[in-house]
Order: sequence, then C-alpha cells, then structure tokens
Amino acid sequence: MTATAGARKTRAAVSDRTKAENSLGRKLVAPAVIIMLIVTAFPMIRALWLSVYDYTLTAPDDKKFVGLGNYATALSDSLFWRDTGVTVLIMVVTVGVELVVGFVFAMVMHRLVFARGVVRTSILIPYGIITVISGFAWQFAFSQTNGFVSGWLHMSPTFNWFGHTWSALLAIMVSEIWKTTPFMSLLLLAGLAQVSEDMVEAAKVDGATWWQRLYKVILPNMRAAIMVAVLFRALDAYRIFDNIFVMTNGAQNTESVSFLTYRQVIEQFSLGMGSALSVLLFLSVMLVAYILVKAFRVDLAQARQEV
Amino acid sequence: MTRARRGRAVAAVGAAVLAGTTLAACGSSDGRATLNVYINPDAQATMAKLADQCSTDKYKLEIQLLPSSASDQRTQLARRLAARDSSTDLMSIDPVFVAEFASAGWLATLPEEYASKAVDDDVLKGPAESAQWDGKVVAFPQWANTQVTWYRKSLAEKAGLTYDDATQTLMKDGSPATWDDIIKAAADNGGTVGVQANKYEGYVVWINALVMGAGGDIVSDTEAGTDAKVDIDSDAGKAAAQVVQTLADSKAAQPDLSVSNEGTSLGQMYPSGGAGEFMVNWTFVYKNYEGLIGQPGGPANKAAFQDLGWARYPATVSGEESKPPIGGIDIGVGAYSKHKDYAMAAAQCLTNTDAEVAMATEAGLMPARTSAYNSPELKKAFPASLLELFQNSVDTGGLRPQSAYYSKISSAIQSRWHPPSSVSESSTPGNSASFLKDVLEGKALL
Amino acid sequence: MAKTAWQRIGLVLGLLVILVWCLLPVAWIISLSFKSAASITVGNPGFFPAKGTGAGWDNYKQVWDNEQFRHAIWNSIGISLIATALSVALATLAAYAIARLDFKGKRLVLSVALAIAMFPVVSLVGPLFDLWRAVHLYDTWPGLIIPYMSFTLPLAIWTLSAFFREIPWEMEQAAQVDGATSWQAFRKVIVPLAAPGVFTAAILTFFFAWNDFVFGISLTSTERARPIPASLSFFVGADPFNRPVSLIAAGAVIATIPIVLIVLLFQRKIVAGLTSGAVKG
Repeated sequence: MTATAGARKTRAAVSDRTKAENSLGRKLVAPAVIIMLIVTAFPMIRALWLSVYDYTLTAPDDKKFVGLGNYATALSDSLFWRDTGVTVLIMVVTVGVELVVGFVFAMVMHRLVFARGVVRTSILIPYGIITVISGFAWQFAFSQTNGFVSGWLHMSPTFNWFGHTWSALLAIMVSEIWKTTPFMSLLLLAGLAQVSEDMVEAAKVDGATWWQRLYKVILPNMRAAIMVAVLFRALDAYRIFDNIFVMTNGAQNTESVSFLTYRQVIEQFSLGMGSALSVLLFLSVMLVAYILVKAFRVDLAQARQEV
Repeated sequence: MTRARRGRAVAAVGAAVLAGTTLAACGSSDGRATLNVYINPDAQATMAKLADQCSTDKYKLEIQLLPSSASDQRTQLARRLAARDSSTDLMSIDPVFVAEFASAGWLATLPEEYASKAVDDDVLKGPAESAQWDGKVVAFPQWANTQVTWYRKSLAEKAGLTYDDATQTLMKDGSPATWDDIIKAAADNGGTVGVQANKYEGYVVWINALVMGAGGDIVSDTEAGTDAKVDIDSDAGKAAAQVVQTLADSKAAQPDLSVSNEGTSLGQMYPSGGAGEFMVNWTFVYKNYEGLIGQPGGPANKAAFQDLGWARYPATVSGEESKPPIGGIDIGVGAYSKHKDYAMAAAQCLTNTDAEVAMATEAGLMPARTSAYNSPELKKAFPASLLELFQNSVDTGGLRPQSAYYSKISSAIQSRWHPPSSVSESSTPGNSASFLKDVLEGKALL
Repeated sequence: MAKTAWQRIGLVLGLLVILVWCLLPVAWIISLSFKSAASITVGNPGFFPAKGTGAGWDNYKQVWDNEQFRHAIWNSIGISLIATALSVALATLAAYAIARLDFKGKRLVLSVALAIAMFPVVSLVGPLFDLWRAVHLYDTWPGLIIPYMSFTLPLAIWTLSAFFREIPWEMEQAAQVDGATSWQAFRKVIVPLAAPGVFTAAILTFFFAWNDFVFGISLTSTERARPIPASLSFFVGADPFNRPVSLIAAGAVIATIPIVLIVLLFQRKIVAGLTSGAVKG
C-alpha cells in the first residue's frame, strides 16, 4: 500500500515536472518558431494559392483561375528543363570538386602543426566574403578587357569567357567553388578529427598502404561528416542565384531554376506563373534532399543533434 | 509574473527596434513637402541642379537614383508602384515602358492645363507620341535620344565611303550605305563595327531599328494587348537577322559583341592600334569624346577629334530609308503620390525649354523640343550639322512597339536573338515569332 | 627520415596552395580597386594595374563620397546587427529548451529549423513581396530584418544547442536544489556559461545577414533599406553605360573589411561554431 502510494506520488511529481517542462519548453521555442514560420509557411501557402491563377501585377484586373495550367505550362516548357539541367550540372560539378579539394585542404590542416592561425584566418575569408563580391571578383578576373585569367592561361586576349555557355558556366562555377570550398574543408576537418589515430596506426601496422588506410579506415569513419557536408552544400548549390545574377544575368543559357523563378516574379511580375515555379523549386529542393538522404541513409537530425 | 515580464520586455525591445528603424528611414524635412524624383543615372549632376531650381518654398525635390539599365529601372519603379508607394512622386521613365505603367494605372494622367503644354507643337513627333497612352497624356517628354552612325572619317575614306552633305548619309557607290557595306568597309580596312548586342534592352533597340529599316515591324496592333499581331517572321525580320548574322561572322565584330553595350565600344573609336570603328550609338557620344581629348580612351588631340564623323543610321536594305532608334526619357507623376499638384508643376519645370537646353549642353542628352534645338546655347555647344542630324533622326525615326506588354515582347526577342552568333536568317525570325506568340498567350515561359 | 621530410614538403606545399587559393582573389580585387577608372574603360588587363594606370586612393574616395554607397553600408550594418541580436536572443531561448528540456514537439521544432535551412529563398520572395507591400514593410529595415531572422534562426539554434550540451548542467540542478526556479537557474547560472557560444552564433548569423542578396534586391527599391550586396550590383558610376569596375572593386574591399576584422579576431570561435554539432554522428 505504501509502495503504491509512493509510486503514485512519484508519478504525480514526474507528470507535474513533465508538464512544467513541456510548457516552459514550448514557451521558449515559440518566438523562434513563429518568426521562422512567418517568412516561410505563410508565403508558401500563398504561393500555392496564387499558383493556380493567371495573375500579373501589371494587369491585376485580368486575374483568372487556371487550375494547374501554370504547372502544365512550366513542366512542358523546354526552358524549365534546360534551367533544371544547368542547376543540376552546377550542383554536381561544384559539390564534387569542393569535396575533393576540401578533403585535401582538410588533410593538410589536420596534419599541420605550424601556421594554424594563418591558415584558419585565410580559409575563413572566402567563407565570410559576400557571394556577390565573389561573383564580381571572378567576373572581372575572367573579363577580357580587364581580367588576368586569359593572360595567365596564355589564351587569346580576345576570348570572351562570357560569350559561350560552357566558359560562362565555368566562370560561375569557379566563383562558387572558390567561396564554398573552405566551408566544406572545415566540416571535413572536424570529421577527420573524429577518426581515431589508433585505428589508423593499427592499419599501418597491419601493412595497409596509404590508399587502403584512406579507403578502409579514414573515409568510412568520417562518413557522417562527409554526408552532412555534401547534403548542405548540394542544397545550397541547387539554390544558386547571386553569382549568376552579377556574372551573366542569365545570358548564354546560364540561368538556374532560382534565377528563372526570380525573373518571373520580380521582373515579369507574373505572380501566378512565378508562384507555380516557386512551388516547383521548393519541391525539387525537397526531392534533392530526399534522394541524398536516402542514398546516404543518414538520419540528419541524429547527425546534427544527437537527439 | 516572470512570464509576463519577459513577454513585455521582448515586446518593448521589438517595438523600440521597429520604431527606431522606421524613424531612421523616414528622414526629416524643413516644413516643405519633399517630392522624390527617381532619375536614371544619365545626367545626375544636371538633374540635381534642375531639381534645386525647380524646388519652391512649398516643396523640395529630392533626387533618388535608379540603376543604369532600362529594365532594372523599370523593375525598381514598378515594384514601388505595385506597392502603391506614395513616396514615388516623380520618375524618369523610358518611353517604352510608358504604355505598361499607364495601363497598370501607375501614372497620373496630366490635367488638361499641363497636358496641352507637355505635348504641344514644340515637341517633336516621336517623343510626343511616346508620352501618350489610350488617348491620354500620361507623361512629360524630357529629352529625346536617337542613334546615329559615329565613325572615323579616315577609316571611311580609306574604305571608299563618302559623306553626302544634303542627306547627311554615308554613301557607297552613289547610294546610301547599308549595314553590309559598312561591315565590309570596316573588315577590309582594319576597323570594327560597334553595336549593342548584350542580352538587354539595347539589343532590342538595334533589332527593332533593323526590322523597321527594312520596312517591317516586330509586332503591330499593339492596343490589342496580348492579341497583338506578331510580324517579325517576315522579309524585314529576315533582313534584320541577316545583318546580325553578317556582323557576328565578320572580323569587324568586336570581341565582346555578345556582351556589348553603349559603353563597351566607346574605347574602340580611338584604339591604341587600329583604324577605329563605325559605331551606332546615342547622342551622348559627341560630348563624351570632346571631354576625353588627350585622355586614355579618347582622341589624342584636337585633330584626332576632328576625325570623328557622324551620319544617319545605316540602311538595313538598299533603297529603303533607315529608321533610327528613338529613346529618351519622359517624366511621369506617380498615381499614388500625395502631392500630385506639386509634382505636376515640378515635372513641367523639369521639362521646359531651359531644362532641356541644360540637359543637352551639360550631358549631351538632346531635347524633345524644337525651341531648345534652336536656342543659342545649343548652337554654340554642338556643330550645326550634328544638331540637324539629331533632329532629323528623331523626327523620322522608329519607336519600339508601344504595348502594355512591351517588356515581355522585348524579353522574348532577346531570348531568341541572343547571342548574335546564334542568329540565322532562315530560322531566327520564325522561331522568335512563334515564341513571342506563345509568350503573349501565356503558353511559354520567359 | 626521408619520409617525414617528404611529408613536411607536402605539408608546406599544401599550405601554400591553401593560402593562394584563399587569398589570390582577394588580392586581385584589391589590385583592381587601384586601377584608374579611365584605364578600365579602355581595357587594362593584367593582375596589377599597368604602368601609369594606378589610381591611388581615388576609387576609394569616390566610393566613399557616393551617398548611395554610404547609405548601403549604414543599412547593412544596422540591419545585420539588429537581425543578429534578435535572432540570437530568440535562438538562445529555443536552444536552451532543446538542449535541456524534454517537451513534446521538440523533434518538430528541429525538423522545421532544418527544413527552413534548406528552403529555396527565391521561392519565397514573390509572396513575401506581395505580403510586405500589403503591410507596408516593403523597402524598410524591418522588412529585411524579419526574413534575415527567419533564415538565421536554424543555424543559430543548432550552434547554440550544440554549445549548450557542453555546459555542466549539474550547476543548474544545484541551483534548482537551492530553490531557484528553472528560469532563474537558466538566467543566473547558465547564461554566463553560455555567453561564448552565443557570441559564436552571433558571428555566423551576422555573416549570413551581411551576405544576403536575394531579399536585399527583392524587398527594397531605394537606398532607404538597400543593403551592400544589392547596392554593389546596382552600382552606377559617372559613366552610366559601363559597370564602374574599379569603383565596385573599391566598394567590395570596403564591404569586406568588417568580415576580415571579425575573422582575424574570432577565427577560433568561428571554426568551432561552424563545425560544432555538424559532425557529431
């Protein structure tokens, strides 16, 4: 009897505590959640709503319901698919290069015993610099009239980097890779730090070559770090906009999906079509995230939060 | 208690921040009403001076600068106006966007007393037309721009092109030189041809002039809005495409052709080596080089400056007179302005003969009014033949389509005609016509 | 040993590659900012200004005399600082709850934060523009501060909750045993311990706000609220037809100074903040 009473008492105390914690917890997160949702959930719902209308800001009286017409138009338009292709290409190439270069940088930093402060400082500068400025710096660097790249590569001084799709895309990717590789390398460095030196030593003693140690010991042990880095960078790269805006403004077929959406909404004022594209952009980012998470079988919340 | 206090504290901080920023952003004034004038950056210094002169003891004009490209200017203004912004009192507006702005109800219609003066007989035909929409006057023409052929006399001479004084035209074997003649003349004599062919509005200026110069147009029946008739798939469209194609394939093309704008070819007139260029460009060019004598990018000396020639815009096809592009700026009054009456008076002041003379003499932006062309100041600042050429070009030039959907039309053309090296006489006009139709019907993405 | 010697050389080479990679473009934009505007119009290729085309401090003076640019700097500083302060304040509360308290909906909050971090910003500007003009937030400071907060909160919450996990919470429990409420324990004991983490989150948040471009160009239209990146992209020099390359370069250098200062002073904290929580799997 006393035992039951005691248990009941404890349960009551626990549930009181739980209740209090529940309520305090919610109150503490509420402001942050509200602010996050004001700018995302509401506009997204509104975008869904607007996307079924033919609605242009310059001719508000002509607003009419078109059902899924905007989606049909967008999805059957070659421009949408071309821009999606460009975006995916940029994402794959930049993330791939960043992963390799970032890993090399991380290895160097990991082994470095001197000049660590200098390296850390320099590597943070591209990370912190404004993307638009990175775009400008590289645009000017590739410019035929005032840049140095053509000269250094011993190319014809009249070669116009921004006059061809491939060279313009290359310039855009260089600016993207330059700015974001440091972020990648820092995440990988943290991953490297998690790989136990003992295991690497043990492998060495067992006669494993450098490559074997890399593939069998180091990489598998920093899988989570690599996945998080790739996931975040890939989603970031899929949303590429700033560099394209300042470097080519979408000319020479260098437009990304974000840029296409921006033009419909902000330049053409086609809120209906623009909203449909916004929804498609959102869904494609979700799809990319889903594919990556599935492919890597990473529980992101776990990796990030140890919940 | 703690919860309430915390809530209040957060709210107070939030309110303070919001209040502080709104106040900081609002600005102050000295009792006079402040009228914002959104200007394009062509003549900042002159506009600032005019804004001072046109301010009265009741209101003060304050200059706000717009970005440099015509489409960016449109975007910035349109966003403010779509937001029913009451602080957009006056604005410089490119004539091609007047129709769009007016049909969206963003421009205040001029009351009769202002309308009659804004487009009276003194105003040249092109600019006057550009300020009207749907039978109403919706803007004050401020200055009128046009393009002519700027060239090095020495280069033309070497190439056997002669200048005919009576028609102010470059002649090849006794008839007005066509684009083909000029491209060939440049290519054979170490010169280049400067145009505007970046993916932007300036490229459409060129294409439109080429099409109209061959007797056609891009679209007609533009009052029908999205049901306008698309005409670019025609002989005139093909002739225009042929010129673009010829230049893109020629060694007279400047290396930055596909990203060229009004500024990029300026440096090619007096290059450190080479014969110089033929360049179609706006009226500011004369003042530009005059100011650059002896400086990098400009004529080395007075004599070199004397070598700068000007002639009527080149013909697209032989036997058809060219249609020089018309540009310029109209001043509009925002429909949501709180001070429309003041704004109207200010706009009139910014566009009177004196103001136009100042714009021309100080910034090389030519007047929309005949009286300004005839003023002694202008006659002193520009050679008589140049004034005559400008005035003639504006009077006989071709406007770009006046349509509420102009920006769609323009973007559609840019999308199919850029880069210049992709243009083909056989396919580009047809492609762009069907694309433009789809765009206007909402069947294609732009 | 030969091997270590080779390793040493490899390391030094790697170090040099990293330094060149990171600093070359920065050196380039600085060099560009000293090319004279006139020589840019004619064409002045090469890494360094060609002979006789140096501009001294002219470009900097001109940029600084440009009222639009000064406004933009002021806007950027003000907006970024306010957004940072508010965002970090809210994130601190949320991160504390996530790190310390057990409550329903915790996973939901984390998922929302993650989803928002992945959100394609461009897909929001349309409806947001529409909403902002309806509630008169268009082209105002709060009109940018609010979206900056929304998009920096996830990063701030993660960084902070990672920091908060490292804090010795027994001290909080001790305080609670001594009769303090959860809230008091949080304020008196934990806040001082958490301050360094908060500081790091603030730096990262500031970087984001300082870097933003999409909101900056879409939700403003004048110097009233236009931040630096947008202002640079619209920068107009004396010659309206050519992008004033050297002036933009000078403006870019000025806009990068705060970043360099922050990096120089707080590099250790930034690295810790960037990697904490990211890779504890």
